[in-house]
Amino acid sequence: MSYQFDRLKILVVDDNAHMRKLVCTILQAFGVSQIFEADSGERAWVVLKEVNPDICVVDWVMEGMSGPDLVRMIRTDPLSPNPFVPVLMLTGYTHIDQVRQARDSGINEFIAKPVSVKTMMQRLTAVIEHPRPFVRTKSYFGPCRRRRGGDEYQGPERREKKEAAAEAAA
Amino acid sequence: MAREQPLELFMPPNMLKAKVGHGGISGLDAAAIQRAEAAMEEIKGEFAAWAAADVEKLVAARAHFARSPDAASRAALLRAAHDMKGQAATFNYPLIARVSGSLSKLVGELDGDLPLGLIDAHVSAVHVIYRDKVMDESNRLALALAIELEAQVAAILKR
Repeated sequence: MSYQFDRLKILVVDDNAHMRKLVCTILQAFGVSQIFEADSGERAWVVLKEVNPDICVVDWVMEGMSGPDLVRMIRTDPLSPNPFVPVLMLTGYTHIDQVRQARDSGINEFIAKPVSVKTMMQRLTAVIEHPRPFVRTKSYFGPCRRRRGGDEYQGPERREKKEAAAEAAA
Repeated sequence: MAREQPLELFMPPNMLKAKVGHGGISGLDAAAIQRAEAAMEEIKGEFAAWAAADVEKLVAARAHFARSPDAASRAALLRAAHDMKGQAATFNYPLIARVSGSLSKLVGELDGDLPLGLIDAHVSAVHVIYRDKVMDESNRLALALAIELEAQVAAILKR
């Protein structure tokens, strides 16, 4: 069984034409037929409002509006057509501070350059199969930034009871 | 990370899943991956021209910075180096990716004036590696050059 990628509309935002072509080639081969391109954050904002894509693939470093700036607009601007749209961010940055900065803008997944077919599929699959809950605080709106935090557990504290029982039995 | 309050946590409806249905057993669509690998092979023929354009862009950015070293030309140089770092490995030039990564680290992280000599050494290295079509990391001379440039950048950033 295969995903019906032909049902998706994907917006690819990168000011480097080669990188756009690379990403679009991969997406087309996956079967995505509705691919929209933008060569700047400003242009992406216009296209976004016109086509309301299902997924955005956004480069980080662009002249003018950067990737994180665009993502912040997508998440928080009242004119955004879909503040929940999954955003995959392309980046050559790997430093923890930079990763944190992108994460704090509200992205869903990173795609580290050089872009590979497998990574692209993994990230698409991640947003399809494992969407993250959204968080709204005074200073942030976007996908939950904690991936596997043990403190996310909301259920009963079984461990505490078990330990108390063990202590009582001792 | 301390959790900021007040906090609202909610799960938006999964519209993507509703649209695309189910994938393969592993979650990854193996047939789509194969098609994309084949498509990448087909456009590999264009990579040489793309790499040449990127090298030209980097050389031009360096020349512009040398003529008028200001914030705009520095940003353009950083972008050219950063783009090259991101794409060179795809174009089968891993050592160019490494050298341009070192250059973008230097331009992006050094406070104050940039040492033009070290920038030139990076740009020349990229140019030579591309000219001699060094497409693997086993070329001892090119590898030694990349390591030396990285060491120089690390030393300057430490000061």
